[in-house]
Order: sequence, then structure tokens, then C-alpha cells
Amino acid sequence: MDLVLPEFDVVVVGAGNAGLMAAIKLLQAGKKVLVVEQHNLPGGCASSYIRGRFEIDPSLHELASVGSTAKPGSIRRMFDELGLDINWVPVKDCFRAVGKYSDGSPMDITIPSGKEELIEVMEKEVPGTRKKMEKLFRLFDEVNAGLAYFSDGTNYNIRYAIKHYSNMLIVGSHSCKIVFKALRLPQKCIDIMSTYWSYLGVDMGRMSFLHYAMMVSSYMTEGAYIPAFTSHELSVALEDKLRSLGGQIWFNCKAMSFLFDNARLSGVRTVYGDIKCKYALANVNEDIVYGRMVPKEIVTPRLRRLSNARKQKYGARMFTVHLALDVSREALGINDYSIFMLGTADSETEYRNIMKGFDSNNFSILVCYNVANPSASPEGTCICSITTFGSPVDWDNLKPEDYAAFKTKCAQKLMTRLKEQTGIDLFGHVEEIAIATPWTFARYLGTPEGCVYGHETADWDDIISRNLQLGKDYPVKGLKPIGAGGPRGDGYSSAYQCGELMAQMVIRELEEMDGTSSEARS
Amino acid sequence: MSGKLAKLKVKIRNFSLKDMLDFKNLPLRRDKAIAAAEDKDINTSFPINSNAARLHPSVQKMVVSRIIERDGCSARTLVLKKEDNSPAAWFRAGQYVSVKMKIGSSYVTRPYSISSSPKLTKDGRIFITVKENPGGFVADFILTELKEGDSVLVSGPEGNFYHDRLRDSRNVVAVAGGSGITPFLSMAYAIRDGIEDFNLTILFGSRTEKSILFRNELDSITEETDKVRVVHVLSDEEAPLFEHGFITADLIRKYAPSDYSLFICGPEGLYRHMEDVVKELGLPKRLVRREIIGVSGRMVSSVSDTPEESYRLSVIQGPYRYETTASSKETLLVAMERAGILAPAKCRSGECGWCRSKILSGTVCIPPQNDFRRNMDKQTEHIHPCVSFPTSDIVLEVPRGDTPDA
Ligand SMILES: Cc1cc2nc3c(=O)[nH]c(=O)nc-3n(C[C@H](O)[C@H](O)[C@H](O)COP(=O)(O)OP(=O)(O)OC[C@H]3O[C@@H](n4cnc5c(N)ncnc54)[C@H](O)[C@@H]3O)c2cc1C
Ligand code: FES
Repeated sequence: MDLVLPEFDVVVVGAGNAGLMAAIKLLQAGKKVLVVEQHNLPGGCASSYIRGRFEIDPSLHELASVGSTAKPGSIRRMFDELGLDINWVPVKDCFRAVGKYSDGSPMDITIPSGKEELIEVMEKEVPGTRKKMEKLFRLFDEVNAGLAYFSDGTNYNIRYAIKHYSNMLIVGSHSCKIVFKALRLPQKCIDIMSTYWSYLGVDMGRMSFLHYAMMVSSYMTEGAYIPAFTSHELSVALEDKLRSLGGQIWFNCKAMSFLFDNARLSGVRTVYGDIKCKYALANVNEDIVYGRMVPKEIVTPRLRRLSNARKQKYGARMFTVHLALDVSREALGINDYSIFMLGTADSETEYRNIMKGFDSNNFSILVCYNVANPSASPEGTCICSITTFGSPVDWDNLKPEDYAAFKTKCAQKLMTRLKEQTGIDLFGHVEEIAIATPWTFARYLGTPEGCVYGHETADWDDIISRNLQLGKDYPVKGLKPIGAGGPRGDGYSSAYQCGELMAQMVIRELEEMDGTSSEARS
Repeated sequence: MSGKLAKLKVKIRNFSLKDMLDFKNLPLRRDKAIAAAEDKDINTSFPINSNAARLHPSVQKMVVSRIIERDGCSARTLVLKKEDNSPAAWFRAGQYVSVKMKIGSSYVTRPYSISSSPKLTKDGRIFITVKENPGGFVADFILTELKEGDSVLVSGPEGNFYHDRLRDSRNVVAVAGGSGITPFLSMAYAIRDGIEDFNLTILFGSRTEKSILFRNELDSITEETDKVRVVHVLSDEEAPLFEHGFITADLIRKYAPSDYSLFICGPEGLYRHMEDVVKELGLPKRLVRREIIGVSGRMVSSVSDTPEESYRLSVIQGPYRYETTASSKETLLVAMERAGILAPAKCRSGECGWCRSKILSGTVCIPPQNDFRRNMDKQTEHIHPCVSFPTSDIVLEVPRGDTPDA
């Protein structure tokens, strides 16, 4: 037990999407890297579990920014550049949305992916919208070009931005709701375009239009993808890449706290002992990092105020029923990869209802993996999930002995509503069932309230504002939190990108510390 | 700026230079919001997280508060009680715990189904019942050496062998053999106590009337509730009021309602026997659930046919390196435990994935019925050592074991 623990340039705490990607980028830059993970698996949310003859993905619905082999998006390129051969499977349509439009008329529309296709369908559903939709997509393009300029972690020049990305600046401080109205999109169009709000966990009244443009336009134009062997495929590929680059990854190894020497990070305290390092990246929620893992005197007043200003408003706490069914999806009449069942088309009301608790929550998403990936489960079977959000109202004060009955009751309601709204009847075909609640995510991920999206990216704390304050948000020398709560927001793609971005910042800082500027190296 | 605008032909109504200024001031707006908040400590206690930790503790420190000898059955019931008298983790009737003990220089774990009512967790208690296992290592220790007052480490509740009303029929026919009665006893208690709500018919195979485990307990439950019914099936003895012989499809049909789920738990032999019975009954997979039962050399033909070989086993565990040997007749998990290496394990059946490890070099044999690995893991040399038998020298990277004194 008196073993002297090795030293590292960087210790990454947490092998989630952001942590794994950051570690790999640091290794590629020649750093000595250790990843410590409290669970026995890599990936965090990006994982899978076995039930009987089925392998089930606990979180992934679809990945943005993958793109086709002909037109690869940033995430496909990221994995390609690492030489990782992921079995990407395309998800054909964006979604089907079922419910009612704001004007009370029934809604049942399937939105295909691809700009042209989408505009076509929209024109059919809401005649006379073609021009406006085209305009919206042009705006997406400009915004995304502008965002790329602003969010690479380097300084920006406002004059340059005014010259090249003026529309982005014009819409940049506004919510989706305001911009959609300004574009004079018909309400029905807005209703449909609002459907994806749930993937960001913030209603359209508080969601930055730029954030929407970044995520949603990618989903809608590039189409979404999933890995053929669940998201565990992605995590194992990254785990193995990390090893092949000489990195170490220690599982079941919890980090308790960060150690400091003269207000500069000097190591990480883990269950194996203290590990010295020059830098640490924490793939851990900010409130846990600064509230629990860092000595009080290191935490700056601004960090404390930031946390308190956020009022512990965490994005999405998930409630998901995973179902392995003993009949094919064709036999069940499931033809869409994802069906959004809306309680109301107005996302602000929907959000409020969800927060009031399960009794007033009428929102859910059905995903059937076999629609995109016929080999997601054995022949003659299929795997579905029904997801909605959980509210602390229900999950804060529930007693452990009432837990199973309550989650089963919620699952039954979701299955019943699915049957009522779509005619899809899963009862009587359930071979395996697993119900994940905010408690489940709290257990496996350790995030506050079991949230999976970090702090809400809303209002003054949207991702744009976070990006513009990259220089201010990380005052602790030698330590940066990374992940869904960071400057890229939630989602697999965002987390990978966040890991890459922060690794680059660390590499620059380490080189400055070593006195070798990056120019001198290259 | 108008050039770009014109090119894109995006003209947004009602927006002005003020919007641009607003954008420029986004950082200022954020600074203001932050500055307006209180400078007080960051809260890190969340009810959802503490609830999750109560429901799924990684370890429960317990003492053997009482030992009940099961005369005539070569078994003992251990009444385990939380050392600090706090409630034990709530569980779903049918779940098991992984019990960890130090025997000699080895840390070993064994899974045992909880045989008591979930209700007893409130005063910190769970019961497990351990049957004799000739030639066994831990069962032998528990039956002969363990005393009242001894400490044991117990995992949180584990496993998926419980009734789920969205999946299973309201009627369950349970086929139990020997100590395989334990999860069903817990289910029966839970039904009696109003915690579970389904009809349970237990077909319980024992050798003789005298060797029936929990006879009195089962009798008194069936007196208290008509949702539980027990049929004793004696293999080695004929007696009035008892069924005789093996549990056959006909016997199941005789006692089963028209619509039912079949739950099976017992020794390896029972599972092999039940394969044909299930086929004969023509039940869909959905309606048949088997508790996991560990692994034995018998399950791997190549292991039982070939003479025993000894291989070198190098283990990398975080910063530690160990060198030891592994027998072709034992799993890699047992080899590590023999060497005093603290390796993670819960189900010891290949199913829970808790022992998942990475083979850096070497080959293993995994009985197909115990291979519950994830698809990708099969392609990337990840194994579950609890069901992997070495067929060469091995270098294995293993997660940290659950500390005995956590
Ligand atoms: C989900 C589940 C629930 C269960 N519930 C129950 C229950 O309710 N009641 C019950 O009685 N049983 C139950 N079992 C079975 C139980 O867990 C044990 O398998 C049983 O008690 C036999 O254990 P054993 O150690 O005696 O034998 P084994 O573990 O099968 O013995 C393996 C061999 O390895 C050798 N060995 C192993 N480790 C070492 C070491 N460190 N040093 C030297 N030699 C070693 C032994 O000598 C022996 O030859 C359950 C199993 C599962 C999977
Ligand atoms: S201990 Fe459960 S799979 Fe090995």
C-alpha cells in the first residue's frame, strides 16, 4: 500500500463524453494523461446495459453533426481523424410530432431530415411558408458561421464580426420565440419548429436563438445518426484509443477532491491516494466541483455568485421507460424512429406543466431503435424507449419503499398515452423493462438531481454568453470543469466538442507554463 | 455589413442597431446577473441524490445478529442487521445481495437472495439463507465458522429477478429447487405484507419431507393470504398431500391458471431439466424468467474435458501490478481472489457486468450461457472475469475492487 503513485501532466476526472475526448486530445499533444472514473465503465451517459437477450442504450436518441460520408459533419470528422471506425447508422426522418397546434387543430406531421425535404413538407402542411423557411435556413447558415468565429476560445474582433456576421449579431441576444415572431413565421410553423426544444431542455421563450440554430439546424439539415452497437460503441472506441495513445484509465476510482499548492492545482485526491499533476479537467458538474471538491479559499466570490445566480436550475432530469418487446416493430405498427407526443405545442406552457410534476406532464417521446437500425435487437423483437422529464416535485420527497410503485405507475401512464395518441400498443409484449428516473441518473452519474444537461442554458446564461465569458469562467489555476454544463451545452456532440475545446485551452496554458510558446514548437 | 445581408437576403423586421448592441453587451448582462446573486456557499446537497444513495448504497456494514439453523436441510439463515441500526436498503422481493467476507488472506464475495420481507429493512434487517455446498469454499465457511456478532459487508440490492406488473402476468408460477426457494419466500412475504400484488403458486422441489426448507414459514404465509399457494414436490419420497417426482409440464399445467409467468430458481440441474419442460409448455420467452445461478466448470465442455493447466496471470489494477497463476478449471475472478487481489464482483454469473475487465493479452473460454457481455465488448477483448476461464497466459486490466472497509 506504500506504492508511490505516478505523476501526470493532466488528470481527467470522469470518463464521460467530454472527459474521454479531452484526454485523447491531450495525449495527442504529447501530454501524460490519467483518466479516473468512479463507475466501472467508460462513457457516463454514453453507455449500454444488458437485459436478457437485449442490449439497451440508456440515453442516446440521436447524435447531431455526424453527417454522411459524402458530407461529413464535425463529429464524424472527429472520429475519422482519430482513426475510429464507428458503425454510424442514419436516422431517416427528424421526427413525427403528434398533438395539437396552438390553434387547437390536430397535429400529426412527420418532418424529414434535409433542408429541401423539410421545407417541402412544411409548405404542404402550412401553405405559403416556403420563402420564410428558406430565409430561416439562410439565417441558420450565417449564425453558424458566426458562431464558429466566436467560439473557438480565442479573442474576437467585434468590427470583423459586424462586417461578416451582422445577422448573427442582430439575433444574437434574442430568444427563439422573438426571432421566430420577427421572421413572421406562421404560428403553425413555429409550433412544428419548436418540437426540438426538449433536446435542449429549455423552452423557446428562454432559449437563445443561436443555441437553437447551432443544434437544431444540424439535426434538421445533416440528419441525425446513431452508432449501430449503442453509444457504448462510441465510449469503448474512445477508451481503446486512449490506451493506444499511452493514456491510463482507472475504473471504480472516485476522485474526492482537488489539491492545491499556492492557489495552483497540484494534484487530485482519489480512492487510490493522492496523484500529482499540473492540471486537472473535471468532467463533473460545476456545483459539485466548486462546492465539494475544491477548498473553500480557492473558490472565488464570482464562482459562488455564479452558482447562486443559477439558483440550482438544472436542465432536464430524465424519466425513461426502456422496453424490449417480443414482436417486431412492424407488427406493432411503429414506422417512425421518434414520435414526439406533445401535451401542448406551446413550449413555455409545456415546460411549466412538466415542472409541476408528473400529474400535469403530458409530454413524451417514443423512440424505436429498430426503425433506424434493424439489428438493434434479435429478429422478431424490437427495442423502444419512452422519455419524458422528471420534476423535483415528484422525486425529492418520494420514499424508497414507494419508488418502484411510483415509477411503474408513471411508466404505465406513458404507455397508455402512447396507445391513445398513436394506437401503438406495447402492453402484452414486454419481455424486458427498465425504468430510469432522476434517481437512476443520480446514482450512476452523481450529477445534482440526476440532471443530464448541466445548468439550464437559458436567458443570461445561454451558451453564447458562456462562450463570450470563457476567459472569466475558469478562475481556478490548473482546473477546469468540462461537460454538458460547459460552454457548448448539453448533448453528445456538444460534450465531445467541449472536451476538445477545453483540451486545447489546457495545452496552450501548459505550454505557457513550460515557457515554450506554441509557435516555438510548430 | 449590408453586403452580407443583401447576399443572404435575410431581412429581419423590427431589428435595429440596438440588437447588435445587446449582443455586444451579453457579457455585461451575464456579469450583472452574477453580481446580483448572493456570495454564499455553493449548495451540494440534493434530496434526489441522497434518496438514490439510500436506495442503492455501494456497501452496507452489517453484523450477523442471529443464526437460525435449518435442521435437516443443511442450511442456515443469517439475520443480518445494519451495524449502526439505520434502515437497510429497500429492495424488490426476489433481489439478491453480494456478501463480502475475508477468509484467510482472500476477500471473497458471494451472491445470496434475500429471503425476508422488504418490510424488515425498516429496522435494519435482511435475512439470507445459505445451503451446504460440498467442496464449496464460502458456503462451508458460513455454515461452520461464521458466528453471531461477526461483521459482514453487504452490497446494495441487486438483480432483476422480481415481479414487474408491466411485464409479468398477474399470476406467477414459481419453480423452486433447494435453496432456490429464497427469492420466492421473500416474494411471498411481500405479498402477505401488501408490498407486492400478484398471485404466487410455488412448486417447490425437495428431496424428502424432512428436508423442506422454510416449511413452517411457507405454511403460515399461505394461512394468512390466499394469494400465495405452495405445492411441495418430493423427489425421493412418496407422502400423502405431496406431489411426487420431478416438476413436469403436466404438474405445472395442473396448478397453473390459464395465464401465467413462469419463474425458475434452483440448482444447475433444475435449469437443465426445466429447459425441456419450458419447451413442452410452449411459453414465449417473455413469460419465462430464470434467476442467474453462477458458473461452474461443468458449463464449459473444454474445461471439463481437458486436463487442468496452470497459466500466468498478470493483473493491472490502477497503479498496482500483480503476478499470480490461474487454473484452466477456475475463473479468472477466483484466481484473483486466491491471490488476495480485491476484484469487483456482484452476481458472479456473467450477468451484472460489475467485474468487466480488459484483456491486454491472452485468451479465455466463456460458457455461452454466461456470456452477457455488451456487443462491442465482445469485439474489443473486454470480459467478465467471473465467468472467464483462461486458456493461455493472461494480462488483465481490472477495475478497482470494492474496498472491504469503505
Ligand atoms: C443471484 C444468486 C442468488 C443466490 N442465492 C442463494 C441463496 O439464497 N442461498 C444459497 O444457499 N445460495 C445462493 N446462491 C448460490 C451462492 O451464491 C453460492 O454459489 C453457494 O453458496 C456456493 O458457494 P461456495 O463458495 O461454497 O462454492 P463455489 O464458489 O462454487 O466454489 C468454487 C471453488 O473455488 C474454490 N475457491 C474459490 N475461492 C477460493 C479462494 N480464495 N481460495 C481458495 N479456494 C477458493 C473452492 O474451493 C471451490 O472449489 C445464489 C447465487 C446467485 C447467483
Ligand atoms: S460479477 Fe456480475 S458479471 Fe461478473
